[in-house]
Formats: sequence, C-alpha cells, structure tokens
Amino acid sequence: MADAILETLRGVVGPANLLTDVELSPYVVDGRTPKAAVFPGSIDEVSAVLALANDASIPVTPWGGGTGVGVGAPAARLGVVLGLRRLSRLIEHEPGDLTATVEAGATMEALQVALAARGQWLSLDPPDAHVATVGGVLSANAAGPRRHLYGTARDLLIGVTVVCADGAIVHGGGKVVKNVAGYDLPKLFVGAFGSLGVIVEATVKLRPTPDVEILVAARFGSLKDCGLAARAVTASDLLPSALDLVDGEAAAALGLDGERPALVAGFDGLAEQVRWQRAEFARLCEEAGGREVRDLPAATWAVLPVAARRALAEPAAVMRFSVLPARVAEVVERAGATARDVGLRAAFSAHVGVGAIVGALAGPRDAAEPVAAALRDWREAAHAGGGHATLEAAALAVKELIPVWDQPGAAFRMMQRIKRQLDPKGILNAGRFVGGM
Amino acid sequence: MTDARKRSLRRELEAIVGRDGVLSDPEELLVYESDGLTLFRALADFVVFPRSAEDVAAIVRLANREALPFVARGAGTGLSGGCLPSEGGVVISLMRMNRVLEVDYDNQIAVVEPGLVNLHLSWAVGPKGYYYAPDPSSQQACTIGGNIANNSGGPHTLKYGVTTNHVLGLEVVLPDGEIAWLGGRTRDALGYDLAGVFVGSEGTFGVATKVVVRILRKPQAVKTVLAVFDEITQASEAVSAVIARGLVPAAMEMIDQLTIQAVEDAFGCGYPRDAAAALLIEVDGLAAGMESQVERIVAACREAGAREVRAARDEAERQLLWKGRKSAFGAYGRVSPAYMVMDGVIPRTRLPYVLNRVNQIVEAHGLRVGNVFHAGDGNLHPNILYDPRVPGEEARVVAAGAEIMRVCAEVGGSISGEHGIGLEKADFMPFIFSAADLEFMRRLKDAFNPGGLCNPGKIFPTKKSCVEVGPVAHRPHAIEEKGLAQRF
Repeated sequence: MADAILETLRGVVGPANLLTDVELSPYVVDGRTPKAAVFPGSIDEVSAVLALANDASIPVTPWGGGTGVGVGAPAARLGVVLGLRRLSRLIEHEPGDLTATVEAGATMEALQVALAARGQWLSLDPPDAHVATVGGVLSANAAGPRRHLYGTARDLLIGVTVVCADGAIVHGGGKVVKNVAGYDLPKLFVGAFGSLGVIVEATVKLRPTPDVEILVAARFGSLKDCGLAARAVTASDLLPSALDLVDGEAAAALGLDGERPALVAGFDGLAEQVRWQRAEFARLCEEAGGREVRDLPAATWAVLPVAARRALAEPAAVMRFSVLPARVAEVVERAGATARDVGLRAAFSAHVGVGAIVGALAGPRDAAEPVAAALRDWREAAHAGGGHATLEAAALAVKELIPVWDQPGAAFRMMQRIKRQLDPKGILNAGRFVGGM
Repeated sequence: MTDARKRSLRRELEAIVGRDGVLSDPEELLVYESDGLTLFRALADFVVFPRSAEDVAAIVRLANREALPFVARGAGTGLSGGCLPSEGGVVISLMRMNRVLEVDYDNQIAVVEPGLVNLHLSWAVGPKGYYYAPDPSSQQACTIGGNIANNSGGPHTLKYGVTTNHVLGLEVVLPDGEIAWLGGRTRDALGYDLAGVFVGSEGTFGVATKVVVRILRKPQAVKTVLAVFDEITQASEAVSAVIARGLVPAAMEMIDQLTIQAVEDAFGCGYPRDAAAALLIEVDGLAAGMESQVERIVAACREAGAREVRAARDEAERQLLWKGRKSAFGAYGRVSPAYMVMDGVIPRTRLPYVLNRVNQIVEAHGLRVGNVFHAGDGNLHPNILYDPRVPGEEARVVAAGAEIMRVCAEVGGSISGEHGIGLEKADFMPFIFSAADLEFMRRLKDAFNPGGLCNPGKIFPTKKSCVEVGPVAHRPHAIEEKGLAQRF
C-alpha cells in the first residue's frame, strides 16, 4: 500500500488512531498481518476510510471485539483493519418503546449494563460479552442459549445504519418494532460478516428484565435419552428460555461431574411460573430416564455457549452445525464416534431446541490431516441431520484441507449478484465469506 | 398487444398450465384489476393459474422472452395495490397451489404452498395442538404467499413477531425463471439470509412456490381483558403503563368510540357505547402466573384512568370481544358508504400525541375517522370514512392520508407496519428514506430482478402519481359491478 494512502488515512482518524508495524500483532488473522489498523471516531470518518480504500481497491477487514474474526476463509490480503471500538455510545433508550439505538462498537456487556439500569435487556446472549461488540455480534449472527425462546439477531434488529463499500451511509429498517416500508435491510447485514457493508449503528427490540431466572440440569445415561427428553420438553407446555444438550465432556466444563450427558434448561418470568416449570421439567426428565435434577449457579449461563471449547484445553478446531432439532442427539453421537475413531478427543454442546451444535476437537496442532478427516465427517453428519456446518476456528493448515464454509447450493448465484451490486470491487472482508465472496 | 400476438401467447400459456388455467377475456380479467384497495386499477393481458414451481418457472421464462411484466397474486386481499399488474402483462395466481405438503411436528415446521389460506394452516395443525402464529385480520382469506410478500402481521405479533420471524426457507422462482431454495429447514442460514431479505419484498424478488414455516404449540392458557376509558389519551397512556410494568401481552388492541358504536350497532359484542376508547389486552402462555399477570394489567389500566377493567369470564365472552375487534372493518359499512384504511407505525410512547394529530388532520379535511389498531406495537390504522359519490371527497381522503403519514415519519415512525408500500405509498418513501437509502435498495433489487419485469412500478417513488382523484374516482370493484360480491 502506498505511503500516501496511509498518510491520508492518518489524517482522517488522527495519528493516535492508526496502528502500523509491530502494533498490529493483535490483528493478525490466519497468519496474515494487515497493513494498518484504523479506528475512526465517527460515522463520517468510517465513511471517509471506506471511500479511500474503495478508490484504491484496498481490502478492508471490519473489526469489533475480534471474537469472531477467526470465522472465514484465509484471506489473500487483509488490507486495512477497520476497528469500531471508538463508536460505542448508547444513543437512545426509550423504555416505554422497548427499543434502543446503540453504536456498533459498544460491547454487549456495556449495553446490557446500561439497559439493566432501567429494567430491560437485549435478549441476545452470545459468548464473550465483555469483548464482543454489538456490530460484531450482529455481523457474525452470534447468539447464546436464550435464543431458544427469544430468537437470534434477525428477530431483534429493527434498524441499522451501514457504511457501504464506497463510503455511502445507508439506513435500513427504522426505530419502530413493526415496519414493512422498503426492503428488510437489517436481514441482509445479520450474519454477513461485514462483507456487504460495515454496521455502524443498530436499533434493537428489548424485553423487560424477568423477575426470576433459573438454570436447571438433569443427567442422562446416553445422548439418545437426553435427546428424547429434549423432545418431550419441546412438545410440552413448558416455555424454557434455554434448552441445551451437552455431552459428558462439555458437562464437566459446566461443573457437572461424572462424564454423562446433561439436558440444561433455563426458565424465567414470574416466580410462580418458574417454580411450576422447574417441577414439570424435573418430572419430564425423570420420565425419560433423567437423574440428579439440580440447579446450576447463574454464572453457568455464560459458560453454556462455550462449554464444548472449554472442555478441551486448546481445541484444534471448532465447528458449528445447524441441523434439524430432532436430529441433534444422533448428529452428536455420530460426530463423537468419528473423533474417537481417529483417536481425538471431542466435546459437544447444543442449543438443542433450535438445532445449533458446537463441536470442538482436540488434537496436536501439527497433525492437520486427522483433524481435517474428522471435520469432513462432521460436515457429512450435519448434512445427514438436514443442515450444514461452518468451521469456526482452526489452524491455517486445517483450513487449507477443508473449506470453512459449506456449499450454499443454487442460492449462491444470488449471493454473488448481491455482493457484486453492493461491493463491486470486493474490498469488504475480501475473499473470506461463503464461496470466497 | 395485437390480437394475433395475444392469441399466440395464450396458446403458449395453455401449453404450460392447460386450457382452464389461462384467462384472457377482458370481462374475466376485471376480477383481477385491483386488490383490497380499489383506488388503484390495472388490467393484465393474462391471468394464469400454475400448479407447480415448474409451471411458474415456465411462465416466467416465457414472460422474459416476450419482455412482458409479471406479478404474483394470492387472494388479492392486499391493501396497497402491491399485486396489481400496473404495467400490464401476466398475473400469476397461486390459488391452485394451496396444499400443506408436509408437517414435521418433531421439528415444529410445516412445508406449504403459497396459495394456502393462512387460517387453513392453523386448522391443519390444530388437532395436534399447534398453530401458525401470524394472524392478519384477513386470515380467513389471505394466503401464506401474500403474507410473505408483505411480511404481514396481525394482533398477536406484539409477542410473537411478524411473518419473517416464522419463515425458515422458501423455494422461489427467481425473476429470470431459475428455481432456487433460499434458507431451508434449519434455523441458521448459510451465507446471506436471503429468505429474510425475500420476505417483505412485495413480489419484486421473485415468486415463492414452497414455504417452510415454524408452527408453535398452542399456549396452555389465555386471558383477555377489556379496559374502558372516558378519554382516548388515557387509553394511549395505559398502553405504555402496561409495558412499563414489565409485561409483554400477546396482543394489545385499541378501539375508539366511533368504531365501538359501529361494532355495537352491527354485532353487539359487549363494548360500552359511551366509552371514548377501549383496550383489548390478551395474555397467553403458562397457566401458572396468569392471574398475577392479569392483576398487573388491571392495575396499570386503572392507574391510567380506566373507568372499568374486566377479564372475559369464559371462552364465549372472549370470542365475542375478539369478534368486535376483528369485524370492526365490516361494521364501518353501517356508518359510512366507504372508508380508506391507513397503516402507519409510531413509537408507542407517542400514541397520545399522534392520535390527537390524526383526529385534527381528518377533521380539518371535513371527514370522520375511526381508529382500531395494534396499540401495543404502535401500529395505527386510522380508517377515514367518506362518501365516494360526493365530488372531491376521495381526494380529501388521500390528502389527509398523506398528512398522517408525514406525522408518523416526523415522530420517528414508519409509513407502513403491515400493509406494504405497493403503489399506494411509493411516493411517500422519501418521508423516511434518503436518496442513498433508496439507491441502495434499488441496487439490491437489481441483483434479484435486473430486467425489472418482476412486479414493476412498486415500492420506489415515481414522478407520476397513479392516483386518479376527482368526481369519477369512485368505482366499485369489478365484481361488485357484476353483482358477484358486495361490501360488508
């Protein structure tokens, strides 16, 4: 990259907000170092940075808290890292409207703390909330256990401000909870990993903080029984806020001893609602062969979405599956057996009611081939479970053996056309998204 | 179109859908010249009735070859002119594709065809204790495909969300005639959320031919409360008071005095005729805690000044109260020869101010308005009453409607909560979107629909307004003229 462009960028964001050379070590992705990292302090500065990069055809890698930046195919060039951390204000919170507008660089934790002070919360609980930013969470479509009842980013994001590849500032959706004017642009940016535009501001739907919230676990002799109990719960009158299935390894990470699978349910609401549901959950689990129904400490909530990776000291790979909910137990069973066959440890946790599984695989970092072999079968297991799988984290050597993204089928043509329309030079998160977009 | 060309195209369409699947006689086409908003009319060259995705794809490819515009149509209950063949061409009616193809109770999904009537899906899965949550007021007639085009809502969307929150995947015929699945049966999309982008695109991104929707377990318990107010402002404030107490009711509907009186004249549903406004509030979910939720609602309403708050004693009384709400539109027929439904959204805390403004605006135009709407999510439906035979009245209705939309925009709201933009509101889009926003949407549309043949003339503002107003503006719907239907 020409020094002149670096100088111009420095002029836009101020010298203190542009990093180069050795300062860039936290921004290395898949072994590649960006040319610079810039941290604009306003939407207009984001716009100026993108317009400059677009003119010079320099790739831009949007960066929130960096928690999801490992998701993606290895990039040929990282270009400039565009950090959003200086855009972190809560712009508006109107409790009577159950909505809030926040800048993209605010951490999820900071947002939740501010909302909680007025008795509300954003019902999205992705891992690493103290680091993960609102914009990053939306872009990665990250979620946590409470998605069982409250849905994911697509259900909660009602308005978005985005800076496009060419620097144009575009608003989609609005501030109201119901709105069908124009195309549903918020949906376009959720889960797009910044490849169509950089989210700079978001308006979200909120919920009142529940009076009471608990987390309960029941233990099972087999994954199959655990899966059957999960189905009994989803077919009942219960309205759990979370329903997680964990294998023996992941159960240990939750502080449950004995190497047996567990079904973990969250309940919230009025005290009497929670009380009745806890008793009914225990009854249904025991009917399905469950034992040792017990309450878990509130701190366990934050461990649930990372239980599989915590179970292994340093996982060689993490894969995220989206499958039919009723198939979760059999997919986990098969994937676990595959790992054992190649002599690797594995751990699994799943938001079982919505079919979202995280599988972690242990293994020596230098043995890419057995890891890739297991992952190939895991992806086939996801297909057999009616869905697909994304390789969320792995060493570069593994990513070179197995694609990060699954095949999107006939819809891919439309995705490419959208990408070409909205980012014609292909500078945004270049080459890292599905199909190399 | 020349007669010869029309005859030859008809033969080609018949080869795709059979002789009984094509209408081209101008008399028969009249039925399809408008939707629920009869202000706009446009005649197609053909209406065709495919039975499969392959039929739809063949029709779309033919339309492309002939450079004919095409538009999909469900039951025609839309309220923004969205399914009109505004530039002629082919109407693709999905009414023969109305099957429930599969219900997977274990995974709580159903696969249906787009012409399926919304309520029929809930009937199909009801015996096993399930239902389909989005419940537009027209749910006895409107189709799932039409709901997808408009991202339809309904009273219970306050708690359960709108159509897009219940659609997982779609098989679509893209505007170039290719068939593709957007999304699928699992919760998380692979790549861009194209199903999410397609829902609410008002038929401009292609034609849905199969739909995967979520079905929900019926709630264990339901309670419905009627709160009666002497001042409409009190009712508006009660809406925020309920929310402030940490409650999210399943539905929270407001009905004003004019509407109450019309409903009582027509059906006698038990609303007090002298009330300035009433709120119909429903909570559902677990039986445990239901009573304390009702108590909280009663307390909030009383604090806001309700003169009477009562819970429906039994299912019969509950049904009667809902009948009053759902038949309000029909009841306006008692008090006015015609009315026009507005659809706007505001932050619910602005209800007291905006309702006042709406009433002022309508009064200033010398008209009357009845309000019956989804107060809980700030989705207004002012119904402006008028007499189409009086010269100039329809023009005043249209002018008042535009002013109301401006007020919604000024308080940070939206110009449509569930009826869509269609033809009606295309020119209002700049009220809430900048030139850059609209340009971005155009580029997105060009990705799906580069030739622009798929439902042209909708959503985006045009220089020319399509509304013809004046002494001749009132025309009864073609099927009314033929004596096949009447307004009620």
